[in-house]
Amino acid sequence: MLVVYVVIWGSAVLLGISAVWGLVWAIRTGQFHGLREGAESIFDDDEPVGTPTDFFPGAAPSARAASGNNVRTMEAKWQR
Amino acid sequence: MATLAVPNKPEALESQELLTRVQTDRSCRQTVLIYYTSAVFWLLLGSVLAILASLKMHIPGFLADWEWLTFGRVRPAHLNSMIYGWAVMAAIGTLLWLQARMGRVRLPLPLLLPVSGLVWNVGVAYGMIAILIGYSSSTEWLEFPVPVLGFFGFCLVLIIYATLVMMMRRKVHHTYVSQWYIYGGVLWFPFLYVSALILTQAPHINGTVRAIANWWFAHNVLGLWLTPIGLASAYYFIPKVTGRPVHSYHLSLLGFWTLALFYNWAGTHHLVGGPIPAWVITVGIVGSMMMFIPVTTVAINHHMTMLGQFHHLRTSPTLRFVVFGAMSYTLVSFHGSLAALRSFSEVAHFTHHTIAHSHLGVYCFFTMMMFGAMYYIFPRILRREWSSAPLIKVHFWTTAIGSIVYVVGLGWAGWVQGSMMNNPDIPFMDVVKYTIPWLESRSVAGTLMSVGHFVFAYLVWRMLRGDGADQQGPTLLTTARSLRKQRERKARARERAREVA
Repeated sequence: MLVVYVVIWGSAVLLGISAVWGLVWAIRTGQFHGLREGAESIFDDDEPVGTPTDFFPGAAPSARAASGNNVRTMEAKWQR
Repeated sequence: MATLAVPNKPEALESQELLTRVQTDRSCRQTVLIYYTSAVFWLLLGSVLAILASLKMHIPGFLADWEWLTFGRVRPAHLNSMIYGWAVMAAIGTLLWLQARMGRVRLPLPLLLPVSGLVWNVGVAYGMIAILIGYSSSTEWLEFPVPVLGFFGFCLVLIIYATLVMMMRRKVHHTYVSQWYIYGGVLWFPFLYVSALILTQAPHINGTVRAIANWWFAHNVLGLWLTPIGLASAYYFIPKVTGRPVHSYHLSLLGFWTLALFYNWAGTHHLVGGPIPAWVITVGIVGSMMMFIPVTTVAINHHMTMLGQFHHLRTSPTLRFVVFGAMSYTLVSFHGSLAALRSFSEVAHFTHHTIAHSHLGVYCFFTMMMFGAMYYIFPRILRREWSSAPLIKVHFWTTAIGSIVYVVGLGWAGWVQGSMMNNPDIPFMDVVKYTIPWLESRSVAGTLMSVGHFVFAYLVWRMLRGDGADQQGPTLLTTARSLRKQRERKARARERAREVA
């Protein structure tokens, strides 16, 4: 029975503490400020807001393909 | 470790960000590939077992001469293959990639994480064999024998560690809403699994108390593990694919914190009408009702983000699956909250209606979401196109139509079945006979879904073999010219091979 009490109460206390800690951390480090920038944090200059990024094979607009951002040359640069 | 060598010019900024993205995607390659390909394998095995179990419901004598293929073993084998093989492995692959992407960091533990994928497979295989030869623990959703915890625990510790390391090393200060969901899921699931295992296997816990722990766990696997990873994917892929930020970021954060507060309470609604204290069930119902808040925020957000963007569904395979999953999430959650009410459960509980509901959740929502994520992630870690657009469409339509037929047919049949069973004048055998055509329709729907899975597995196999065009840009940007070049290159290679021969 002791195991059961330890599991139930121990985990409730641990989870509670971790949740409160998470919330305090988030408020202290300003995670709830600048929400507009936050929403845009998954975009970058190379894939900016307004650029769709997924297409059926062969169906993508060809304009960007010619822009010179070739992954192979990127990788060659990286390895050099 | 290779260092960045980018010329220090203003115009290099764009390539710098592209370079980071290529690097993070590349760092995920081995780990995500192992998790994803294993997930697809368990998906196929789970589909075969599902068809067997479904057929047995209306052809009772089917393959009943082998004890390891009897319904009581095939059905839990299907469930565990789908949950611990397919869903969890797909979720881990997706969450690791998303973490690396959003934090703009490389995936840590380049050796141990791929090994963890193999260890997870050993755990699932061990559990599956145990179920099929008759050593199931007979607790639903936890049928794997206890030693499997050793395999899963090893992997989960590594995944928690990798998550925390990526959180610490992240280059983006802001914690995106998907990251919140992932942190939540990663920290909750191991705790859930371990405590549920202890609470259901400890010898002095039995009968109804075990059932409470059991359903608290089973409900939370969906709510505190699969849902966070599914929603993290939706919150990343819908904006990313359409190029439009989330409609209301405030609401999305409110949605996460309310989910964290309320979901955990909802599990006991599975026991409405059962022989447990009424207050335990009432708590579950209240928790389910409170879920209206997070679900509404997610529904508003996904719908409003997609508003005016629906034309992308024609051109993006990822978005098709993800939007199908997001719509199913809204549906399954509202339905689940209402189904928790006593008046509703009076009819629908302990009927096929529940099976339809759980497939709406784990299949129409989560599985479709993972298909969408895989369509986005595979090409980026392998830098290769998918090889065939028509086959992707076949995959989408077979799984979409199959799952709709499954859920609508069985949901309706379950409701009628429940109403008939509540009427004492109707003999039980009449109720059984009524459900048979619907069980047959379930077999047809399940077969259709499985056809889709095999098509998807074929696409993945061709992806691994390198049949698709090499990627020409940072994203999927094949042009007619690049395809022609690729074909020419392959023709030359064949010619060379012939000359050598």
